[in-house]
Amino acid sequence: MDDATTPGRKGNLTGSARKVKDNAADWHNLILKWERLSDEGSSIATKIVNFRLSKDRSVKDPEVMMEGQISSAAPEERRAYHSNPELEEECTKLQNIVDKMAHILSKMEKMVSSEKGICELETFQYGENGRPTPLFHTWSTKQFAEVSSGLYEAYKQELALKSTILQEVAHTTNPDLCMVYLSCWLYQPYIQDNTKLLLESLLMETGYRAV
Amino acid sequence: MSQPAVLQLRQELRKCFQSLKENQTVWKGVLEECTPLVSSLRNLAEQLRALKSVEIANTPLCTFPNLPERLQHKLLNAVDTVLGELSEKVDALGSVRDSVSKQVSAVFQMYEQNSDSLPISTCVARSALSPSIADMLEWLQDAERFYRIQYIQRRNLLQQLKPDDLALIETVTKTWTSLYSHKGEEQISGALLQVSFFMESD
Repeated sequence: MDDATTPGRKGNLTGSARKVKDNAADWHNLILKWERLSDEGSSIATKIVNFRLSKDRSVKDPEVMMEGQISSAAPEERRAYHSNPELEEECTKLQNIVDKMAHILSKMEKMVSSEKGICELETFQYGENGRPTPLFHTWSTKQFAEVSSGLYEAYKQELALKSTILQEVAHTTNPDLCMVYLSCWLYQPYIQDNTKLLLESLLMETGYRAV
Repeated sequence: MSQPAVLQLRQELRKCFQSLKENQTVWKGVLEECTPLVSSLRNLAEQLRALKSVEIANTPLCTFPNLPERLQHKLLNAVDTVLGELSEKVDALGSVRDSVSKQVSAVFQMYEQNSDSLPISTCVARSALSPSIADMLEWLQDAERFYRIQYIQRRNLLQQLKPDDLALIETVTKTWTSLYSHKGEEQISGALLQVSFFMESD
């Protein structure tokens, strides 16, 4: 167990330190994956919005003209309005992205609960004040759990937002609202700068980043 | 005495056009790099405007705490970043202006110092291979003025911007595009074409 208290000695970490350090690496990787998915989703969402808006326009235009000319164009447009396989395909793609993000979030949740478990274990081993020396540099074990749950909460909120956007984006006719959906998707308002700071500090504390 | 002065001046002119040519390439490149920045600025302004015009409370997003504020903060940060990058580009345009100004004023200084030994007839004389000294000096001055004014206009434009003034951002991005002077750029390219034989000769 004493090995675990020495920072920087890779390879021979055991027990809680091993677990915490692995979790930190997982945080980093999961967040990278998340960002990639988010970017991918962003371009799909933009396509969906463009579909919606351009379709609205093309449906409205013939309707304006229909009074004069009765014939061929209108039914074709109607059909396009009722089912658009391309639009559906994009929506399915976006659904897949959100599903993958939900999967990432569930992994994040597991890490949060495992770190809670580590804290409980320490309370059991060392009493209310936790271990006498920190696992790595300065953070108490509790701090790791706090950072993890802070990150988790941010991404949880973000996933909820993205799911809402997924449900609404193809059914909105208000172009401004569409734009707000797209900016929400792209700029991820619940992942603030301090979220990134938390991740970086976590990586630094566990020795992945040079101090 | 006049012959060495003419040769010297022509040499200096050659150098100056050479540097103008290089600077023109740099200038064009920098302006091209600005285009995506300006369009993302316009895009961000549009997003901010959309955010302002939507009553989030009446949308499916109403359950998300502080969403408009958070999104606005993010968008304004992005505006800041783009403006920072754009301002670096304008600095780069500034160094093109500086370099052209320096070269052109060196040529003029030389001309003025030697003007006694450069009679009008020499200055306006031209041949199939070389435009007259007077013409070349004029083109250089035009080019110098073009870069100077373009730089000041673009710098002023950026300085007017305030990230919270959406309408201003939208006008500025339009003005930025309209500042592009096809005629001005053409004139410089035209002058460079006209001196191409002159630059290759000794």
